[in-house]
Amino acid sequence: MFDKNLEGLYYGNRLILPFQCSFLKVVVNRDIITDFSPKSKHLSISKEGNFTNLYFHEYENLKETISEFEAIKLVIVEKGKNVFDFSNHIKLAVYLEDKHKLRIEKIDDDILFIE
Amino acid sequence: MLNKILFSALSFLIISASNLFAVSYQDTLTNNVGAVLQTDAVQHTLPDPFIVLPFVILLLMIATGPVFYKHFWEHHYPKIAIILGLITVVYYLFVLGDSHSLLHTLTEYISFIALLSSLFVASGGILVKVDKKVTPVLNVGLLLFGALISNVIGTTGASMLLIRPYIKVNQNRISPYHIIFFIFIVSNIGGALTPIGDPPLFLGFLRGVPFFWVIGAVWFIWLPTLILLLLVFYFIDSRNKAEANESKTYSGKIEFKGLKNLIYLTIILVSVFLDPSILSWVPSLYPLPFGIREIIMFAVVFISYKAADKEVLKANEFDFEPIKEVAYLFVGIFATMIPALQLIANQAKEMGEKLSEGIFYWATGLLSGFLDNAPTYLNFLSASMGKYGLDVNNSSHVIQFTNNYESYLVAISVAAVFFGAMTYIGNGPNFMVKAISERAGITMPSFFVYLIKYAVPILLPIFFLVWLVFFI
Repeated sequence: MFDKNLEGLYYGNRLILPFQCSFLKVVVNRDIITDFSPKSKHLSISKEGNFTNLYFHEYENLKETISEFEAIKLVIVEKGKNVFDFSNHIKLAVYLEDKHKLRIEKIDDDILFIE
Repeated sequence: MLNKILFSALSFLIISASNLFAVSYQDTLTNNVGAVLQTDAVQHTLPDPFIVLPFVILLLMIATGPVFYKHFWEHHYPKIAIILGLITVVYYLFVLGDSHSLLHTLTEYISFIALLSSLFVASGGILVKVDKKVTPVLNVGLLLFGALISNVIGTTGASMLLIRPYIKVNQNRISPYHIIFFIFIVSNIGGALTPIGDPPLFLGFLRGVPFFWVIGAVWFIWLPTLILLLLVFYFIDSRNKAEANESKTYSGKIEFKGLKNLIYLTIILVSVFLDPSILSWVPSLYPLPFGIREIIMFAVVFISYKAADKEVLKANEFDFEPIKEVAYLFVGIFATMIPALQLIANQAKEMGEKLSEGIFYWATGLLSGFLDNAPTYLNFLSASMGKYGLDVNNSSHVIQFTNNYESYLVAISVAAVFFGAMTYIGNGPNFMVKAISERAGITMPSFFVYLIKYAVPILLPIFFLVWLVFFI
């Protein structure tokens, strides 16, 4: 699924990712988020259909914070895959493009992201 | 809207000083910008001590903002820095009628930002990839290399260039101590040998300290300090038993991308000397508060960014925010520190003989750790010169001080650079390295954990030894 780039959407502090998954780690700006419980002060997650919504509570508008060459980074496990198997952990970089489009890339060797 | 207001305020700061520059000094200034920093026979009325308050407030907020009220600080620091700076500007213009101090500061600020921003952008366009199996020796080599090049491309440039390959090579065994030693060595202590190395030394250079004086006067303190730190690092890193990625095969290659930016870095390095007060054939742009040097540096910012390889910028996650932060904060710092510099110099003159090199070493050092080290350096340079009735605003006085009272300048220079490593806020690149590490997913220690667990037990004993050996 992640062998080629995916597209999603963003509006304000909301990311819409075109898949369902479990989140292990999210890095936005300098914030490292590992609390994905309903009471998390950083973000909330809602799933609908085949989509996943992420709402970042501490940012009104993500586009104002994340610049052209920066990414929001995610470590995820696809829905239905074994979360305990490290080979199922997928690192993604999410770039905010014009017209509310998200470009979602599997992180290559150049981008620095420690799980 | 907010940006427009900030821009207007910033413009007011710059234009008001520029206009007054042309009016009030047309009779006394010689025809070059370098001379602005040299010709300073004007006697100023001392400011009221209360006007130091904006400086104190700003430094305290810089120290506490990113730690205790991070999101408020991230949103509002430009307004805070400019408003506090404006208070001082208005006081000097309308209460003291002293536009000269403002002009002097504006000229220095433009040079300072030109150097930092050009190094930041040019080095941000270079990508270094190290495909070697990590060992403690390799790490020591990387840190030593970083320390050396920080004297050529600045602690900011060296940190930008090396932090990513350093994390990458350690990615399966990375710990906070890796990043913290990087901050100690590459972002601070390494850059003690040249005025390009660390911002305080560049400010000294702008005030008149000869460029090559620093390396000659400081290397014998720099070298043992660096060796001690590398030994401590080697000892700790050797005990890190986490394995490198055993399944991976390493080519052993070190790969560079964006190497054309080395040309830009060379241009920056050469342009540092393009000052009419250093090379008489360099044309002056009087009455403008900047010279050829600054134009070249800002041109490098523009060209190196526009011509940069986008893939390299993406891999480096290049962002102007860190340099924007420095530019805004230092508008406030440079403006608000004017009265502090003058009052401290005057106070030091009165205290005279009580102030030894050792006192200057510890006072400069401790304040450099908790405030920014650049203004602290200038404050204590001003104080030590004041002790001998010399004025830090007069470059011939600075040269006289460098020649006759070198030990004081050595103590202040070493302390300002070394102690900048004591906290995240001691020196500009510290926070930048912390931010890059956090963006890479590494959880960094808090302000106090950094101080208590790393800086105090590792750095303080070394700095104590430096004091014992060189400044008692």
